[in-house]
Amino acid sequence: MSFKINLKVNGKEHVLEVPAHERLVDTLRYRLGLTSVKEGCGRGECGTCIVLVNGLPKHSCLTLTATLDGAEVLTLEGLAPEGKLHAIQLAYLETRGVQCGFCTPGFMMMTKALLDTHPEPQQEQVKEWLSSVLCRCGSYHYYFAAAKLAAKYIKEGKIYLDEKQVREKYHMKVIGR
Amino acid sequence: MSKPDYVQIVEEMFAKTKDKPTKDFTYLGKHVVRWDAISKIMGKPLFTADMINLFKNAVFVHSVRSKYAHAKIKKIDYSEALKYPGVLKVITARDIPGINDVGYVLPDQPLLADRKVRFIGDTVALIVAESLENARDAGELVNVDYEPLPVYTDVLQVIELNGLTEKEHVLIHDERGSDVLSRYKIRVGDVEKAFKEASVVVENEYRTPMQEHAYLEPEAAIAIPEPDGSVTIYAKTQCPFDTRRAVSNVLGLPFNMVRVVAPALGGGFGGAEDVGNEIAAKAALAALALKRTAVVLHTREESIIGHTKRHPMVAKYRHAASKDGTLLAVDADIVLDTGAYASLGPFVGWRAVVHSTGPYKVRNARVDLAVVYTNRIPAGAFRGFGNPQVTFAVERQMDLLAEELGMDPVEFRLKNILRNGDRTVHGQLLDHGVGLEDAIKRALEISGWSEKRKLYSTLKGPARRGIGIALMYHGNSIGAEGADFSTVSLIIQRDGSIIFRTGLTDMGQGSLQGLVNIAAEILGVPPSYFKIEPSDTAATPDAGPTVASRSTAMGGNATLVAAYKIRQRLNKLAAEMLGCASPEDVVIEAPKVYCKDQPEHHITWKELIEQTFWKGIPIQEFGYYRAPPAEWHEETGTGQPYFTYTFGAVVSDVEVDIETGLTKVVEATVVYDIGRVVNRTGAEHHGVGGYIQGMGYALMEDTVHSENGHVYSTSFSTYHIPTGLDIPERINVDFVEAGFIRGPFGAKGLGEPSIVAIAPSIVNAIAHAIGSKQANRLLNRIPATPDFVRGVLKRAGLAR
Ligand code: FES
Ligand code: FES
Repeated sequence: MSFKINLKVNGKEHVLEVPAHERLVDTLRYRLGLTSVKEGCGRGECGTCIVLVNGLPKHSCLTLTATLDGAEVLTLEGLAPEGKLHAIQLAYLETRGVQCGFCTPGFMMMTKALLDTHPEPQQEQVKEWLSSVLCRCGSYHYYFAAAKLAAKYIKEGKIYLDEKQVREKYHMKVIGR
Repeated sequence: MSKPDYVQIVEEMFAKTKDKPTKDFTYLGKHVVRWDAISKIMGKPLFTADMINLFKNAVFVHSVRSKYAHAKIKKIDYSEALKYPGVLKVITARDIPGINDVGYVLPDQPLLADRKVRFIGDTVALIVAESLENARDAGELVNVDYEPLPVYTDVLQVIELNGLTEKEHVLIHDERGSDVLSRYKIRVGDVEKAFKEASVVVENEYRTPMQEHAYLEPEAAIAIPEPDGSVTIYAKTQCPFDTRRAVSNVLGLPFNMVRVVAPALGGGFGGAEDVGNEIAAKAALAALALKRTAVVLHTREESIIGHTKRHPMVAKYRHAASKDGTLLAVDADIVLDTGAYASLGPFVGWRAVVHSTGPYKVRNARVDLAVVYTNRIPAGAFRGFGNPQVTFAVERQMDLLAEELGMDPVEFRLKNILRNGDRTVHGQLLDHGVGLEDAIKRALEISGWSEKRKLYSTLKGPARRGIGIALMYHGNSIGAEGADFSTVSLIIQRDGSIIFRTGLTDMGQGSLQGLVNIAAEILGVPPSYFKIEPSDTAATPDAGPTVASRSTAMGGNATLVAAYKIRQRLNKLAAEMLGCASPEDVVIEAPKVYCKDQPEHHITWKELIEQTFWKGIPIQEFGYYRAPPAEWHEETGTGQPYFTYTFGAVVSDVEVDIETGLTKVVEATVVYDIGRVVNRTGAEHHGVGGYIQGMGYALMEDTVHSENGHVYSTSFSTYHIPTGLDIPERINVDFVEAGFIRGPFGAKGLGEPSIVAIAPSIVNAIAHAIGSKQANRLLNRIPATPDFVRGVLKRAGLAR
């Protein structure tokens, strides 16, 4: 059996015909080509597939697409408009935590959900929210710092940054001490 | 015989820069933003599974795995599976055109089991279908007639720990006539005499678990049949050239008909070494059989069952020391469990025996080590490669000895550590920088060791604190395991931008950034001028495997050589163009190029490069470096196993809940002597990441097998790795830079060393927190889970 649903993904409306058992992670990755959404476990344990559904973090591997008629989904691809980077992305760059990067999209979406709920999060809140994503390379400390830095930027109104400028300023450049 | 030019170049660069502080370099040792950082924060890099989208009309390959951990295969009937909707083909061992083997060191591992199965993840057939679902469902319909055999899940069922004699049992590898894969030993000095003369002897038995890499990206491979009968494979592999060799073998094709590309890798830690060969071969078989693109995609469960793990160890150690705290002798029997297949077991065993006495002056030693088959998941390469196991035992022994002698564990260690001018247990003279003592001192200072050690000893109540130290050393690169070389190719483009190619892969740690930093430093151009190409057997030079912490040391040397040669030619040309007194006077600070004494008069980098095209001066270079030959005497365990060693000191500060046995690491300090920091960001990542992974090893990780060889811990809810809530508040990372003449600018490796001493430092801290002599001896295994620690507390009479 399949269902016809309306789904708004990263601001774009889609009309999709999906089988009843199709998971959101597959819809996003294989139907819509949004491969920032990763699958690390397929059972809600690693957090690499986390996206925002109607503003709340959800494991897309545990969500059936057919249940989402009329919902809004946000993935990392939609965090900032074309040609821009979001403050969260800049913060992750500046705190230098990214290693293999497989977990990073999940962390950034979780950070977005956290900051939407708690614009000035305490360290404990940062830890609690971000602990739902695993990082085997061990970048946790850096990511916690990134969440705080992002909060600061957002508070200062620095939400979207020009991608080209960021590239010029940071690509293989020496930063920090 | 004169030295090859690449050795001379590396030594010359070292001599010129050895006194230059790292902070005075432009890119070396700096926090350079890695080349793929911006694409990663945008979620853009394509990991293998992300590329499935790019191929239309692909077929999917599912591995039908064994039902028994040890059984003979009498018959495989897949006629029902063939009838299942969407199924296109079932492949068994009979369909393999080449050699049915994916063994890494030895040909002991069939890609598709035909005669017998030896562990629960063994593949008996491949189902190729239109969708992964169809393939998986049809897998249930493959009927295999098995004759079950006894299952061995503990090495001591196969071998006696005392004397290491093989026990009577049903052979897992009957074709080899023995289930002892390999044996190693060390025989130096007169151990018996030393024990007789000793005033203190400490003896204990140790066990370490089967750790799972748990990289977050599960395995995937995509094979594309090419029109000329060749095949292109994208696969999660950390060693594309090894993968090509394995696939060529299975397909019976020459190397040039198999192309392997390594896309972005979501972690490897050694685990993406041989599993890459296996998945690539499976995909390639299907692709060539069906003439369609074929996909292998593992679930987490399959990943855990299907790829190699860290070798579990059982060991018995005896140490002797004199009254003044001098280490006199080491006597040990060690067994490593390699599971169902050898994989890299023989090499792991060798590395373990080489490091089996720790970074200490040991003049009398008897060590016997056996690597033994069981019916567990095969064990293979994992960050540390045999060293974390033996180091756990050795560093626990050091604390026990200190306790017996009534000495502070640091004082005792300082009395016995290796320093410049000392000889290792193998008789190797350490005639270059040995930064262990400095590393210890710095770690003590940063961690506040002395005050904390005293303060914690006075604490009472249910929440106890403890602080522990552990030391390590780790031989760099492959050493006497085999030929050891690396290569890179640097190609300067007409506009002055540069293409950087190497067959080394970056699993996520950022090692390739370190190589670019080296090239940038030598050429005088910013790293942003470089583009790093992905490792591809058709385009990048064979650089040897990306293992054994060799990227920075070996790949770094190859890079240094290539950049140096180009720089020489550019200097000559620039001196002509600018009229400098000597080529030595040319300063390149791209985009500017000028003579040392005339900075105001300059040409541009681009102009200089443009001229090379008109003068026919080559500005591409193939950089090569071959490690000096290692030497190893089997009978005595002496020689020069590795050309140099990375040293380190780790201090862990823990809180133990006496009521529950739960341990929390509160703070940690790691200090490594890596010769010279080349890529500071990457080095810090190793320091922190290695600690966290080692903490998992110490406190929570084990791949649990049932008695009949089934695996319990196949998910992240049963196999626990540290989360953001488990990590210490702070991990302090620092470096000592005791340069090494044969490393690029003196650099040594850090990938593997970063995990080696973590577990013992944590368990030593637990012992300190508990503060009981009896408990100290009982803390002889990891993971130190709450129930284990509680058991120790109970047995020591400290808890009910
Ligand atoms: S893939 Fe969804 S939580 Fe792991
Ligand atoms: S950066 Fe590799 S898993 Fe987090």
